[in-house]
Amino acid sequence: MIDIQDLCKFYTVGDERVRALDHATMHIYPHEFVSIIGPSGSGKSTLMNIIGCLDVADAGSYLLDGIPIEDYTDNELARIRNEKIGFVFQSFNLIAKMSAEENVELPLIYRGVGKAERQRRVAEALERVGLTKRAKHQPTELSGGQQQRVAIARALVTKPSLILADEPTGNLDSKTSAEIMGMFHALHEQGNTIVLITHDNDVARQARRIIHIRDGKLSEVSL
Amino acid sequence: MMTLRMALRSIGANKMRALLTMLGIIIGVVALVVLVSLVNGATSSVTNAVSSLGTDMLTVTISDDKGLPMDLETLAKWRDELGAVGLTAPSTTASVTGKYGSDSDSFTVYGTSEAYDDIAGLKLCMGRFLNSADVDSHTRVCVLSYKAATELIGYTDCVGEQVSLNGMKFTVIGVLSDSESITTSMRSSGYTAYIPYTSLMRLSDSVTEAVTSFVVSAAEGRSVDEVELVLTEKLMERLEQDDDAFSVSSMNIMEDAMSSITSMLSILLGGIAGISLVVGGIGIMNIMLVTVTERTREIGIRKAIGATHGAILRQFLTEAVVLCMLGCAIGIFLSWTILRMAAVIASGLSMSFTLNGPVVGIAVGFCILIGVVFGLYPANKAAKMKPIDALHYGG
Repeated sequence: MIDIQDLCKFYTVGDERVRALDHATMHIYPHEFVSIIGPSGSGKSTLMNIIGCLDVADAGSYLLDGIPIEDYTDNELARIRNEKIGFVFQSFNLIAKMSAEENVELPLIYRGVGKAERQRRVAEALERVGLTKRAKHQPTELSGGQQQRVAIARALVTKPSLILADEPTGNLDSKTSAEIMGMFHALHEQGNTIVLITHDNDVARQARRIIHIRDGKLSEVSL
Repeated sequence: MMTLRMALRSIGANKMRALLTMLGIIIGVVALVVLVSLVNGATSSVTNAVSSLGTDMLTVTISDDKGLPMDLETLAKWRDELGAVGLTAPSTTASVTGKYGSDSDSFTVYGTSEAYDDIAGLKLCMGRFLNSADVDSHTRVCVLSYKAATELIGYTDCVGEQVSLNGMKFTVIGVLSDSESITTSMRSSGYTAYIPYTSLMRLSDSVTEAVTSFVVSAAEGRSVDEVELVLTEKLMERLEQDDDAFSVSSMNIMEDAMSSITSMLSILLGGIAGISLVVGGIGIMNIMLVTVTERTREIGIRKAIGATHGAILRQFLTEAVVLCMLGCAIGIFLSWTILRMAAVIASGLSMSFTLNGPVVGIAVGFCILIGVVFGLYPANKAAKMKPIDALHYGG
């Protein structure tokens, strides 16, 4: 599923060259639920950007679904993101001026799915996160938990190979966090591959496998 | 379709700003459409006035007859021979002193025939014009211009009065109406009288059987240009192929001059209005740049979930073009209102101010062009953003 080998990524901050990822190697198999945990500044955001095809590594190889992610143009990366990855962000990242329904519909529009099919799949995705009744509401009219559920619906609607969640509970209270985590468990049960990035041990522990990241280096802790 | 809806929505989300942005375009469109329509309205009413007053008249002047003088019979023969020619009439002028009672003044006298009033588009307000009997029997009759009648004699109803021209008594048989033909009013500022050509021969020593100047009109359904061609050919043949021996001039020249002046005016005013449209376009670009910066995060989200370079470019370009088109539509509506008001105000001037179709087309086309040209830079800036940079913008 995800096959990362000796991945390196550098940043230049002022005159200093910072190594955000240092020969990172890991494998994630289909239908896994994996947490990547690390303190801030550990390089986990960089790793998530690379896994999510939002950025490319400076060295090393990354195979997603057997496809090597390198030397792609921005447009090809956009297409890969659209088809293979569903993002769930800490700050929900919904488009404020659009209703829940339209937010969920957007990835399908970019994929070029026809209108009738879009409506069917949007309705289905919203039902899976239990927000059918809130379909017409704008994000500002929804609670944090509901907004995150809309974001999950948006990630699900394209039937991605991988759901990539970046601190999905970071902006939520513990009760709503539990609800969202329950939703990830349910999704895992239904056969989705989930990679969850967090700094919170309690959240990370809910996954079947935990990968630690510190100073750009990965180490695995099996439970 | 989807992009269009998104563009409308995002413009609608900030109506006040959109309106202010469009203001430049609105003003530009109004300036363009109103100015050009006004110029065109004024032009068409003036051209109508010109063409109603004997513009199908050709004036021929012969300076060297090569020993083969034109006489009245030849003129009549040409009228019958040449299909394109409608009417012919001699038109020789002489300056004489006109006298009525104790008042005297200088006159321009036209020695001509019965067809002249039709050719030159003269209109009578009193009496009749010359007829063929007057020409055949060199009758001493004259038709006075309105000005000559009112100023020299003192009233228009002067048919039957006697006017002395260079000492010869002429009976007034008709008076022209006030709106003289533009051609005559241009030629002479003073008093004008029309007398039979044969009578002028007796009045002036320089006028003989040989007609040196005559006017021609086109036959029904024939164009002036065609007559000019036929006539030139005939004259060349007669005057030993010497094109310096004669000249043929038409009133079309005046019309042409006029239309070139007005079209230049249109272009000039249109150009000024075009500049204000370009300024409006810069306003659009400015706001689009602000919008792109404000929506950096949205762009990041869209890119993360799979928007390509082209999709983002299209989105922002559509927004800029829609903004321009909305401004254009409002501008055209305002122009229409202004022109309607102008038409009401100017209704007494017999000018028609209507929305000029081609100008509206140009305005719409120009607005699309401006939307594209000035929208391209901001849209491209949005499309080129890196998804991670955009996503992490402003937290």
